[in-house]
Amino acid sequence: MIDVEGLTKRYGSTTAVDDLSFSVRTGVVTGFLGPNGSGKSTTMRCMIGLDRMQAGRALFDGKKYADLKNPLHEVGALLDAGNAHSGRSARNHLRWMAVSNGLSPKRVDEVLEIVGLNEVAKKRAGQFSLGMKQRLGIASVLLGDPRVVILDEPANGLDPEGIRWIREMLKHLASQGRAVLVSSHLLSEMALIADELVVIGKGRLIEQCTVDQFIARHAKRWVVVRSPQLATLVEVARANGMQVATGDGVAEFHGVESATIGELAARNAIVLHELSTQTGSLEDAFLEVTASSVEYHGRTEANS
Amino acid sequence: MIALIRSEWIKLRTVRSNVTTAIVAVAIPLLITLLSVAFMKTSSIDESTLSDFVLGTGSIAVLLIGVIGVLCVTQEYSQGTIRLTLAATPGRTRVYVGKATLMALVGAALTGFIILASLVVGSLILGSRDVPGSHTSMSAGLTSMVLMGALVALLGMAIGTLTRNPPSAITTLVLWPLLVEGIVGGLLSLAVGDDVRRWMPFQTGFNSMFPETPDNGFTRWESLGYFAAWVLVVTVLAERSFKRRDA
Repeated sequence: MIDVEGLTKRYGSTTAVDDLSFSVRTGVVTGFLGPNGSGKSTTMRCMIGLDRMQAGRALFDGKKYADLKNPLHEVGALLDAGNAHSGRSARNHLRWMAVSNGLSPKRVDEVLEIVGLNEVAKKRAGQFSLGMKQRLGIASVLLGDPRVVILDEPANGLDPEGIRWIREMLKHLASQGRAVLVSSHLLSEMALIADELVVIGKGRLIEQCTVDQFIARHAKRWVVVRSPQLATLVEVARANGMQVATGDGVAEFHGVESATIGELAARNAIVLHELSTQTGSLEDAFLEVTASSVEYHGRTEANS
Repeated sequence: MIALIRSEWIKLRTVRSNVTTAIVAVAIPLLITLLSVAFMKTSSIDESTLSDFVLGTGSIAVLLIGVIGVLCVTQEYSQGTIRLTLAATPGRTRVYVGKATLMALVGAALTGFIILASLVVGSLILGSRDVPGSHTSMSAGLTSMVLMGALVALLGMAIGTLTRNPPSAITTLVLWPLLVEGIVGGLLSLAVGDDVRRWMPFQTGFNSMFPETPDNGFTRWESLGYFAAWVLVVTVLAERSFKRRDA
């Protein structure tokens, strides 16, 4: 369980994160979304004490990160593709981390096995592909078997197989009762991984809700109709003031419920072959929301 | 704290460039000493010649060891591992103290090794050249040199923490004694008097490694203590900056 309360981070006169509050529940994957430069990475760095926040706090099961005795046992964080020294082997990279938190060398070999790097454990991290570096980063996250997992863009640089592997890994970690917070630019990926969303723009919270709620609230919805008497239906609908777009034997109705169209068709004895409600993707919803947040901030800055 | 120091030790010895720097730091003063006693005229060698050479190369030795101190911090910033270090151990003072303890031990151990290897191998060389007498006379300067090794390693680490950047930290560490103190000391001695030179930290620190007690008005241990005070000041500044700045 993570609770972020009023987190504020300023660099000089620029406010990178502004009074941000959200929570991450155990047992689900929470996606952390926001446009580039919206403060996702800064928030994550502040949460684990790498950057100093000017106000607010982040609590992990009620405790501040700085107060955790062996933090790797409680929180596993992956920032910037793992940050391994390019001249150090994968095993040695994990060994120094393990030793600092009182973990056994056996655990190092276990996590190398889990992420599939056991055969290249003696290779230097500088020779790794970005995908292998991400796997090494995941290995360091898993080292202490933490109850909370924080990952910044873990799918970056991974091939489709790697992305699927990350997805299943995160779902698995959540299903074991961990709190998982993951940021990603790949929105289609996020729609598959995340159960909940924390959406931020320009350092402020826009919304925290489930993925389904977010899409329902923000993505466009429209009704698709197919009919052998399509031209008649469109004519009647337009006469009733509805917005209709037509094309290739299909009509799309915006701003109308499917029931209204069904009733209209029935009153006019029009046969329908399809009457279905369509919803935009997470990406549509995200772009809709963040575009307005950027606009909003643009205006406030112009006023000040 | 033991776990932290062990972790830092793994970090230090598992990067090839650190090991290379350590080997160079040992090899250069060692080779100068050994080649000198191997080729100088036997008539001008006496009991203290060997340890005089060890001490004479002491300033090079401790400065090279200081470079390891610089690297142990700056490579964490250049490679980004500092974030993992602080994620694994959020207490920054603890991290600094752990690293500093290791660097002091490594600095002292490397200097000690240089002295030991120089005396043992040097005596063998002199023995094979039929130079009579023992050549392993111990000077208090040798003890001071071991402590200087530890102090300069700590200073390198402190400068590295302040600059976070290897080239500028190494430049500062090397130019401070070789250039800045020479110029500043020279100008001040013109303005104020020769007495000023003894307040130059590195010169006074190096003086503590002279075979005989230095004639700058400080005893050997006062000289060492004066240098140590400077290291302490820079270390305190570095540790405060380490705690304050974003990683």
